[in-house]
Amino acid sequence: MRLKVTTSPHIKNYYSTSYLMRQVIVGLFFPVIASLIFFKMKAFIVIIWCIIGCALAEYLWIRLNRLTNSLWDYSALVSAILLALSLPPETKWWMCVIGGFFAILVCKEFFGGLGYNIFNPALGARAFLMANFPVALTTWRFPYINFKTLGNIPDTFTYATPLALWKFDKIIFPLKYLFLGIRAGSLGETCVLAIIIGGFYIIFRKIADWRAPLGMFLSMTFLAPFYIWPNTGNFFNDLFISICFNLFSGGALLGMFFMITDPVTTPITKTGR
Amino acid sequence: MIRLNERKEPQHNIETEKFIDIDTLYLSLSQHTGTFSKSTVSLNQKVEESQLIAEASGYISSNLHSPVSGIIEKITYFNHPILKKNETIIIRNLNEPKKYSYINDVDRFSKEILLEKIKSAGTVGLGGAVFPTHVKLNPPKKIDTLIINGCECEPYLACDYRLMVEKSKEIFKGIEIVAKILEPKAIYLGIEENKLEAIKKFNLIISTKKFNLPNVEIKVLKSSYPQGGEKQLIYSITKRKVPIGKLPFDVGCVVFNVATVFAIFEAIYYNKPLIERIVTFAGKALKKPKNLWIKIGTTLRELFDKKVLEFCCEPTKIIFGGPMMGIAIDSLDYPILKGTGGVLFLTDKEIDLRDETNCIRCARCVDICPMGLLPLEFVKHIKENFYSELNEFYIMDCIECGCCAYNCPAKIPIVNYIKLGKQILKDLKNET
Repeated sequence: MRLKVTTSPHIKNYYSTSYLMRQVIVGLFFPVIASLIFFKMKAFIVIIWCIIGCALAEYLWIRLNRLTNSLWDYSALVSAILLALSLPPETKWWMCVIGGFFAILVCKEFFGGLGYNIFNPALGARAFLMANFPVALTTWRFPYINFKTLGNIPDTFTYATPLALWKFDKIIFPLKYLFLGIRAGSLGETCVLAIIIGGFYIIFRKIADWRAPLGMFLSMTFLAPFYIWPNTGNFFNDLFISICFNLFSGGALLGMFFMITDPVTTPITKTGR
Repeated sequence: MIRLNERKEPQHNIETEKFIDIDTLYLSLSQHTGTFSKSTVSLNQKVEESQLIAEASGYISSNLHSPVSGIIEKITYFNHPILKKNETIIIRNLNEPKKYSYINDVDRFSKEILLEKIKSAGTVGLGGAVFPTHVKLNPPKKIDTLIINGCECEPYLACDYRLMVEKSKEIFKGIEIVAKILEPKAIYLGIEENKLEAIKKFNLIISTKKFNLPNVEIKVLKSSYPQGGEKQLIYSITKRKVPIGKLPFDVGCVVFNVATVFAIFEAIYYNKPLIERIVTFAGKALKKPKNLWIKIGTTLRELFDKKVLEFCCEPTKIIFGGPMMGIAIDSLDYPILKGTGGVLFLTDKEIDLRDETNCIRCARCVDICPMGLLPLEFVKHIKENFYSELNEFYIMDCIECGCCAYNCPAKIPIVNYIKLGKQILKDLKNET
């Protein structure tokens, strides 16, 4: 009789690290689809080359080090998609590959592999790309879809992000457009609706804890009036617009649901979150 | 606390059977918490059933009695996965069963006599911790709440449930004795909600008011793990929190398992020491699971040789205890101990053998720890050999329930690391 002898407990919960990563990818599915709808081919190029870059980097690292550990646990794929969603649509393919390599090799593996990184690899790579290719990463494009039904859109809207518009021109972007994503921005941050769906998916499937996003949501809500005040005359209208604008513009929501819930870099206690 | 898949069918509803046709018994002298007992018999000596064969050797220690009348074959040292290296008395059975007569006038016994009887009966905590009961019945601080633990939160095990269903009146007689010794202001019976028949029987007994007990209340608790843990049970019933490093009597409570209470009943009403108990044999590798009254010291090998238990397929793991806290063993040649509540014969499908991967610091272990500790920090420190800081994270407060490792998506054997860390800390302390 060949008996296995290991320590207790002898029964374990069904999920694994791969399962958690796969569920995050399902949650990211929604912003990815939205970005493909809005930016079409350019989005596809950015996403594909980010994935190739990250996967290649992970594969090379594992081959060179002869490890068998985290190749197929989808964590590289998650970093790739997050990186892609944070880049503007016109990023060149080779920038994506460099970003992918930096994310996996420097931000993750050089620190010790999965679980030991102190920065989120996707964001670390984005910062690296921003430092090296500032022009490419601040060239924003308006989504490539037909706007005849939405009426006239002034030219100023097409080349600057809503936050830049507020900061420099004190223009508040129409909220309806913000929500649906009809505005310039990076791949992932445009369609707010898609991000919210994806984010709620991973929270309700208990992949991500709700406390960290709630903390960020509350702080953005309370601080919004201090930064943005549309002055429409009605106090509550002002407040509503201010809060929504703060939340929906920029990569705030993407960060709130997908970056802050990255397990490696979040606090480990409930109070901490 | 976790809701586990209880897997208690069908053994929950299988009546207990007795098994007494044993050839050889292996009685370890260290099957209780505290200092091990000292043998009082010699080779080739004939002993009667329930005769003392080893006596307590310290304040926290326990007596040991022969479960059968037989001849002492050998007194030697054995290696055991749970008891490590321990002295064992081997007895050959002569098959002369003893009759125990019921003692009617138990009321004339004073507190001191009752305690003395329990001490000499070698009663220990049968919930798994095997702490000498007479020491627990004499706490340094006065207690006001007595809690009887009928939870049995581990999957597969049904020994406490069958005892509660089949010997409910005897358990209450045992509670009477404990209440006479401790004089609590309140008595609670903690039972999980999956034990309906036992709850019904107990409610019936309480409503007849036949027993001399002031205020017994049944608290039906949610079936979660580890509801039966001392500190968790005290909190669930009385909402009192036992502080870190302290014991239940520090908050005025004391907890006894139902099987321990039954052993107390037998010790006082029948002058019968702790020589047998109910053990659940379950798992898909068995043809039929059983709950058996087994004499302490019976080896598993004999149970299979005598066809009391049969395999229907080869087990992948044999576990003494439950699947969350039990110890896996490597052969059938180990005996039942005082603290064995169940032996599980599990197949591949019932256990998880996935390999360990990197910790992603998801903190599911922190969320689920019933003691509020940080298991991932323990693992990190033990892997990096930072042992001195482990105490700052209160590693000694860990009850090794296994909730953290159960929940871990990276399948890290957290309890393994914690046990290692505790042992290293003990060794370091002993060195200085």
